[in-house]
Amino acid sequence: MVAALVLAACGGGDGSSSSSGGGGSGGGGSGGGDDTVAATVQPTEVEAARFLTQATMGATEADIKQLSSTSYGEWFNAQLAKPQQLHRTFVVNRGADRTANGQQPSQNDFFESFWKQAVTSDDQLRQRAAFALSEILVISFADANLAGQYRGVSSYYDMLGEKAFGNYRDLLESVSLHPMMGVYLSHRGNQKEDLATGRVPDENYAREIMQLFSIGLYQLNLDGTVKTDGAGVALETYTHEDITGLAKVFTGWGYFAGVNVADRTDPRFLGNSRVDGWDWTPMQAYNKFHSTSAKSFLGVTIPAQGTPNAEADLKIALDTIFNHPNVGPYIGKNLIQRLVTSNPSPAYVERVASVFNNNGAGVRGDMKAVFKAILMDNEARLVQADNTYGKLREPVLRYSHFLRAFKARSTQGAQNFTGINNTEEPSNNLGQAPLRSPTVFNFFRIGYIPPNTTLAAANKVAPEMQTVHEVTVAGYSNFMRDRIRFDAARDVQPDYSAELAIADNAGALADRMKLIMFAGQMPDTLRNQIIAAINGRAIPAAVRNAAGEITNQAAINSAKLDRVHIAVFLSVTAPDYLVQK
Amino acid sequence: MSHNQASRREFLRKATILTGSVGTAAAPFALNMAALGSAVAQSADYKAIVCLFLYGGNDSANMVLPTDATSWATYSRVRMQLPDPIALRAMGEAPNAGAPGGSPAALGGVLPIVPNYTVFAENNTRAFALHPAMTEAAELFTAGRLAIIANAGPLLNPLTKAEYRARTRAVPRKLFSHNDQQSTWQALAPEGAKIGWGGRLGDLVASGNSRTVFTNISTSGNAVFLSGETTFQYQVGGGGAVQLGGLTGNLFNSAAATTNFGSIITADNQNLFAKEYAAVVKRSVDAQATFQAAYSAAVVPAPTQVILPSTRQAANNSLAQQFQTVARTIAARGALGTTRQVFHIGIGGFDTHNGQNRDHADLMARVSHALAYFDAQLNTLGLRDAVTVFTASDFGRTYSSNGDGTDHGWGAHHFVMGGAVRGKEIYGRFPVVGLNTDDEVGRGSLLPQVSVDQIGATIGKWFGVSDSNLNMIFPNLRNFAQRDLGFLA
Repeated sequence: MVAALVLAACGGGDGSSSSSGGGGSGGGGSGGGDDTVAATVQPTEVEAARFLTQATMGATEADIKQLSSTSYGEWFNAQLAKPQQLHRTFVVNRGADRTANGQQPSQNDFFESFWKQAVTSDDQLRQRAAFALSEILVISFADANLAGQYRGVSSYYDMLGEKAFGNYRDLLESVSLHPMMGVYLSHRGNQKEDLATGRVPDENYAREIMQLFSIGLYQLNLDGTVKTDGAGVALETYTHEDITGLAKVFTGWGYFAGVNVADRTDPRFLGNSRVDGWDWTPMQAYNKFHSTSAKSFLGVTIPAQGTPNAEADLKIALDTIFNHPNVGPYIGKNLIQRLVTSNPSPAYVERVASVFNNNGAGVRGDMKAVFKAILMDNEARLVQADNTYGKLREPVLRYSHFLRAFKARSTQGAQNFTGINNTEEPSNNLGQAPLRSPTVFNFFRIGYIPPNTTLAAANKVAPEMQTVHEVTVAGYSNFMRDRIRFDAARDVQPDYSAELAIADNAGALADRMKLIMFAGQMPDTLRNQIIAAINGRAIPAAVRNAAGEITNQAAINSAKLDRVHIAVFLSVTAPDYLVQK
Repeated sequence: MSHNQASRREFLRKATILTGSVGTAAAPFALNMAALGSAVAQSADYKAIVCLFLYGGNDSANMVLPTDATSWATYSRVRMQLPDPIALRAMGEAPNAGAPGGSPAALGGVLPIVPNYTVFAENNTRAFALHPAMTEAAELFTAGRLAIIANAGPLLNPLTKAEYRARTRAVPRKLFSHNDQQSTWQALAPEGAKIGWGGRLGDLVASGNSRTVFTNISTSGNAVFLSGETTFQYQVGGGGAVQLGGLTGNLFNSAAATTNFGSIITADNQNLFAKEYAAVVKRSVDAQATFQAAYSAAVVPAPTQVILPSTRQAANNSLAQQFQTVARTIAARGALGTTRQVFHIGIGGFDTHNGQNRDHADLMARVSHALAYFDAQLNTLGLRDAVTVFTASDFGRTYSSNGDGTDHGWGAHHFVMGGAVRGKEIYGRFPVVGLNTDDEVGRGSLLPQVSVDQIGATIGKWFGVSDSNLNMIFPNLRNFAQRDLGFLA
């Protein structure tokens, strides 16, 4: 892949200048070598906007100015120190409010909390990381068994946000033992085999933890390319026998029952009796229901046990999976696809996977280092000339960017963010809602190749294109055309004061879009089209009465608002915007 | 016609690739596509194929059940596992109104069906039934408009259990994996496949349609099944085609904004992601008005609600609503200028690892109710003989139970429905059920005896596709003795 350093390394025209990198260490394994940008680099405004597109829920003017006045390294340090706010707390409180008002809690309570944090919270790296992880380690409100578990599902999302900056081994364990995952992939209440009757353990989680959460289907080289045998056939990572063996490990896990082992009664294992916290406290081992036979998977065999020990088996299983050489390239590439580009070069994947394998201090699975490595790599930081570079922005991230860029706030007060609700309807909404993936395979597949396209001809994947079709493109455009406008009936409203202040200057308005929305990547042709469109709405000249007062202020304001709407709408629907590159 | 010439070259190129990949000698392909296209254009006939995809992997062992004494004894024993046994009740047992919704006791006994046995007569030694929530499907079977295909799935060649175990003959890639087996059913290759067999059938017939964009239509999102070499899939929602607003009048009171909006969102782009997004927008905008005018004028009554076994309450049936969209699109064929169409609709939730009793009973009820609704609409349209529906699914499931559900399997029983279907029959030898039989590869997962290629070729032949083109679309077809399973007249 050809990297073209389009932005001048020094003397950028946006008020700040980049110091050319190569020196200081970014820490956490990103050493600022030839292939990474040094943490000490102070980005230009345009570079900052582009970075924030990849690292946050959407660039804003304030964040662009803040980042371009410091360095990437300082930004990371500040972000990693930000405290986390819990969705679970919000949802519990909102549910209590609703109950007090004779209403029912609902999934909308989580959506309110999600959008409130995505748009207004300052721990933006965590927000983006959690969202990315929620598309890899998937659970979903769309599942009938989770549809009513507002608190539990919220706590799962909290867990992703908390562990996003920890170690992947710990994340994998937290995912495996979260009761909502236990329900979603049905290892909660899973019982040991019964040789007399022929009952077998549920294989669901054993399969998906390997296929989707850790190692994938094919053996990978460090650079993410698939290993093949002598005949060119891809080598698989596991067989059905591995799944059968691993399924036994995930028997005997039930809802949290209390601090004492004696609390783990049969009714609690079967879910017929529950204690407070069952839906968000990690599942516990009920050894009576755990398989004691030998368990073989991924080249490891746990010998048959005289006494069942679910916790010991789980440790062996998770250690084995976590230490599989595929995890670095598999999870690394997956996260690159979520944050930066759909088709990273093998060299980029290898650099990130190497950091996963060793953060520079001998630690495997350090996710802080992995996120830094992904975002500070040259292939992320430098504008690439390749016409298959980048990724389609997914609908949730487009909308969060819009809401952030135009300072959307609740008109009811800082504690609210109501009315966005479930955004998954494709014909008149986003066609995507957080934590509502149709299946554990996410809204779109990492290997999706859009048929009949130049991307397919180039053998490139485009995961986000899986939900792009005649209905969703119209639905998104129509949704945005409506949502960018002020509507007194809505709680969440954009604040266009900064744009209105320059609405009389179409060029200035277009340039504001160019920086905040396009990270500088608004072609001149598009800029001219947007300027002409803005100028197509004339602002009436001020008419003054005898006292010198303007008598047509309402008409002037209306025209200015139209001009802002034009600038925003033509930006958020432009293919040049819709592709993050 | 130049379009046909281009397609022909493309097919020949593909044929070369396929021939190379399977290693057999190249045969001259009699691609008489121009003739096919003109024949279609000159006749007033109409044919459509509807793929009904059951996403998640249908537990067909609880959909079509052998009820002869030996089979039933095995079934009842293997599937009677605590804590929530998924073994359905014997035929004739009355529903228990006091039992939990969706439970076998609440459903009552399985519904007997009596095949004619004029094909695959060896099945005559067995007896059969459908899931108790499939009253309408049983009626369609008895009426001769629904047939069962026994134990079908992806295969590269006929395969015995011994060959599977020893890997002495080729086995499809990534068995038991949802996304890969969905792709294999739809496109004969694991995830990443770019061309589906429905789309290739569409390629061959598109020239008979006055607007090729309306050849392959999906109501359930992008499915590789409908992607051809030259034809795209066109997506419609419940309301038909969605109009992208802001392209007429003055957008935010600016005529220039209207004009420039239209050009910005459809313009070609250097970046391939942007280029392809804009291409979809352009297709959406270009086709919408034509489609919607025709669709709006085509009136098809909405489906009734379905009674869900789990709640014993009436609920909307989104699958029947997708069938309504298909029926309206078919009813609009005159205005749309379509003579051959391929549809893809889908319903999820079949991955019943747990809670199977409740979930699967509801799904069976939805499928049955939706098929009967569509059959009735086709009757009203006078098109029963012209439209064939077939089911597909990721895979069948294990025969063994994990206590309240089942795991990923391979072969499965499927339905074909339509007036052209030689119904009231079971196609293919019905497998011996249970564990450790020659018909299963572990945990009762069925080793398919009928391949997806054979099902597709049978449907494709009915659709009017030549043998040589079928060989190209279904690269494994030549490995099977029976090219036409005979379920379509």
